[in-house]
Amino acid sequence: MSVSNLLENWSQFRHTHPVDDKPHDPYKWAMSIDLDACTGCNACSIACYAENNIPVVGKERFQHGQQMHWMRIERYWDEDGREFADQGAQFLPMMCQQCEAAPCETVCPVAATNHTADGLNSQVYNRCVGSRYCSANCPFKVRYFNWYDYPTDDAVWPAEMSQQLNPDVTVRSKGVMEKCTFCVQRLTAAKSVAKSEGRIVREGEVQTACQQSCPTGAISFGNLVNPESRVHKQWQAQQVEIDKDKQTKDEKEEGSELRGYRIFEDMRPYPSVMYLERVRESAV
Amino acid sequence: MSKRNLLALYGNFEEAELVVKELRAASISGFNAGDDMVVKSPIEHPEVEEFLGDKPVYVQWFTLVGAVMGGLLGFFLISGGQANFYMQLKGGKPIVPFPPNFILTYEMFILGGVFITILGFLVCAGLPAKRSSLYSRKVSEDNIAILVEVEEAAVSAIRAIFVKHKALEIQEEAGK
Amino acid sequence: MKDIREDIAWVKINQDVMKSLENPRKLYWVILFCAICAFGVGVSCEIYQYRTGMGVANLNNPQVWGLYIATFIFWIGMSHSGTLLSAILHLMHADWRKPIYRFAEAMTTFSLMTAGLFVLVHIGRLWQFYYSLPYPNERGIWPNFQSPLLWDAMAIFTYLSSSILFLFVGMIPDLAIARDNMADGWRRKLYTLLALGWEGTDRQWRNFRVTYLTIACFLIPLAVSVHSIVASDFAMSQAPGWHVTSFPPYFVAGALYSGCAAIITLFIILRYTFRFEEYMTKSILKKIVRLTFAIAMVWTYLNAVEFAAVWYSHDEASKAVLIQKATGTYAPFWWGMIFCGSVVPLVFAFERFQTNIPVLFATSLLLNLGMWLERWMIIAPTFSHGLYPWTWDHDQWPSMVQWGMVFGSFGWFTLLFMIFCKVFPSVSMYEVKEMVYHRTLHLKKSEAAEQGAH
Repeated sequence: MSVSNLLENWSQFRHTHPVDDKPHDPYKWAMSIDLDACTGCNACSIACYAENNIPVVGKERFQHGQQMHWMRIERYWDEDGREFADQGAQFLPMMCQQCEAAPCETVCPVAATNHTADGLNSQVYNRCVGSRYCSANCPFKVRYFNWYDYPTDDAVWPAEMSQQLNPDVTVRSKGVMEKCTFCVQRLTAAKSVAKSEGRIVREGEVQTACQQSCPTGAISFGNLVNPESRVHKQWQAQQVEIDKDKQTKDEKEEGSELRGYRIFEDMRPYPSVMYLERVRESAV
Repeated sequence: MSKRNLLALYGNFEEAELVVKELRAASISGFNAGDDMVVKSPIEHPEVEEFLGDKPVYVQWFTLVGAVMGGLLGFFLISGGQANFYMQLKGGKPIVPFPPNFILTYEMFILGGVFITILGFLVCAGLPAKRSSLYSRKVSEDNIAILVEVEEAAVSAIRAIFVKHKALEIQEEAGK
Repeated sequence: MKDIREDIAWVKINQDVMKSLENPRKLYWVILFCAICAFGVGVSCEIYQYRTGMGVANLNNPQVWGLYIATFIFWIGMSHSGTLLSAILHLMHADWRKPIYRFAEAMTTFSLMTAGLFVLVHIGRLWQFYYSLPYPNERGIWPNFQSPLLWDAMAIFTYLSSSILFLFVGMIPDLAIARDNMADGWRRKLYTLLALGWEGTDRQWRNFRVTYLTIACFLIPLAVSVHSIVASDFAMSQAPGWHVTSFPPYFVAGALYSGCAAIITLFIILRYTFRFEEYMTKSILKKIVRLTFAIAMVWTYLNAVEFAAVWYSHDEASKAVLIQKATGTYAPFWWGMIFCGSVVPLVFAFERFQTNIPVLFATSLLLNLGMWLERWMIIAPTFSHGLYPWTWDHDQWPSMVQWGMVFGSFGWFTLLFMIFCKVFPSVSMYEVKEMVYHRTLHLKKSEAAEQGAH
């Protein structure tokens, strides 16, 4: 059984990723975040908490570094001798980058995290045994572990609050890893509707919670292989290609004026999130 | 004709060696020095093998088969498992990646080798077994014992050789 | 210096070793009691953590592994010297290994069992640990064979089962002796069962020799592969400070080093508790000490290579981790590791200390401490100062639950080891006899040669 299976589908089993010749089809979910538009208001983070049933761990556990914010706003300060340090504040919304070649996937002993057909980095809660190797190997450290049994913790979810939980999203018990899913529950619903109508998901038909709640519209999300999508257009305009660890535009000697970049691109995780660099005062 | 078992104990190896040599040299009817003689000793003795003559050991063939089978089984089980599992990519690597599979094949190679070697040892050494009733605990201390299985007619001749070399103790019982 | 006497009666060897199964010194019971208490502490910590959640270990987002994995590597490392003594020295015909290899092998087995416990207490859903075993199931789901953790599981399973078999096979002739000499009771039954009806016939010995040699040959590459795979857990990842090519040999050297140090400690304890002065002689101790010294220097060298390689690379993140190790929160422990691992073993270079038991005992404990610190210094600084600056966390300190389990693991190991030494002969009787026999032969031959020359 298995030897014949091996021989028949050999080329399929030796297929590596990402490659030009066989991109994701018909979906490849991707994002781009305009840091120039980001005001650091944290609305995305709160929307994410609400949408994805993320436990609010409380002050004490937060101090222990056990917070669960799938979407976090990182603050960096430019210490260049300004009168008010706050003026130099920069924000970076950080969530799972849904890498095309995710370092977390190879190291999971039980294969609880995989690359899906539509280009997501999935996390199978039921399969996770909690070895936390994925987190150790994640360069972005965007994976969050359930250190306690939050669903049964009255301080985290008082009984009356259970009505507030999103029924489309499971609550995670103690001992499993979780992370941003690109609101996979919304994607699945949209795909299912589209399929029943015999088409693919249209641009704008599905939004992630963070995108939906961003007051400045800094986040755009969509199907990267759909030429009509905003994400596709942005990536193309910025000349960022998903399967490259070094973009052609950066190889030019004088560098590039374009703002698009991906974090840790040179480590070859091939992230699906492109950031648009903030326009600096010095550059204006 | 019925057989009898004889066991003689000696205090040192030189003496035992002389006895064995004499038994081999003497042509006693109803006693075959090659097949009917067993030497029991408290330690591993290269000399015993010298004076008993070369007897083949087959354990290493078990080892070879075990190691090769272990390695093959390892590789195909793992690759087959990966291929049958959901067609999901991990980390951009192929679904059947070679470097990890070689590492696991290597471990299975050793695992198979060790396990089947032990099996081979048990088979070749005839263990586990019931101890023969002609056994002296002195063998586990410092004595060397010679156990022979002979036709009843040859008992006295053998016994004479044992006594001649000052056996510390001679046990006798009816054979099967 | 006194070594094992050539003219020692073989009956006396049996008697002396069998005595160790009956009446050890009082210290034995003290050690056993302390071990049970320590193990109790570890078990209570695990029960608390199991019920409450991993959070009580005070781990957090960057610091996901903590002391559990550090101590796991420590125990895996300890296991390597049993193989060194029993397999490598066996192939090299070093006969001084014979009186001491049995307990070294037991150490291998039990430290692997202890290491296994750390894998279990570390995972978030212990009740589902069997997901990581490659067993056929209806769902058609397999573990991820690409994960170094799975290689680990596989390598440790192979190593543990092979060392148990190796220990057992090597013990069969001794079990037969125990069977013949033990008074009636459950232990006699146990020995009878385990001796498999061994009688020492020429056929048994012939096959025994080949088997023992073959498994020894398998164990050497196996031991090397086990610790290089443990090193792969780190070297295969992308984290700065871990992604180092020299990690596998470095880990293997560290493993042999900590194992040898532990052998010295246990040697001294066993020698006293079970009155093995006649067999575990100072001349053997001296040889182990010299071996340990050599390995310590290899380890020091590989350490230096690692630092130098990081320093000369342009990998800023790895460099930052190295600087953080030497100057940051963990600096006292990191320098402690350098001191205990590279400076303290210099004591072994002096001949008068090579047989000084109190000095050796203290030194070997310090070496073990140094090697434990080494493992912790591999884990913690990388987590605290990883690739992503926003998640740097230099202040997360392991909670008492973690420390309790580390403490408890020593109790568990000591408990298993001490029970083993009381139930099974921890000095190989038949091999001491072989050693004595060959030395006598050698003496006779050289005497004869001398007479022939006149």
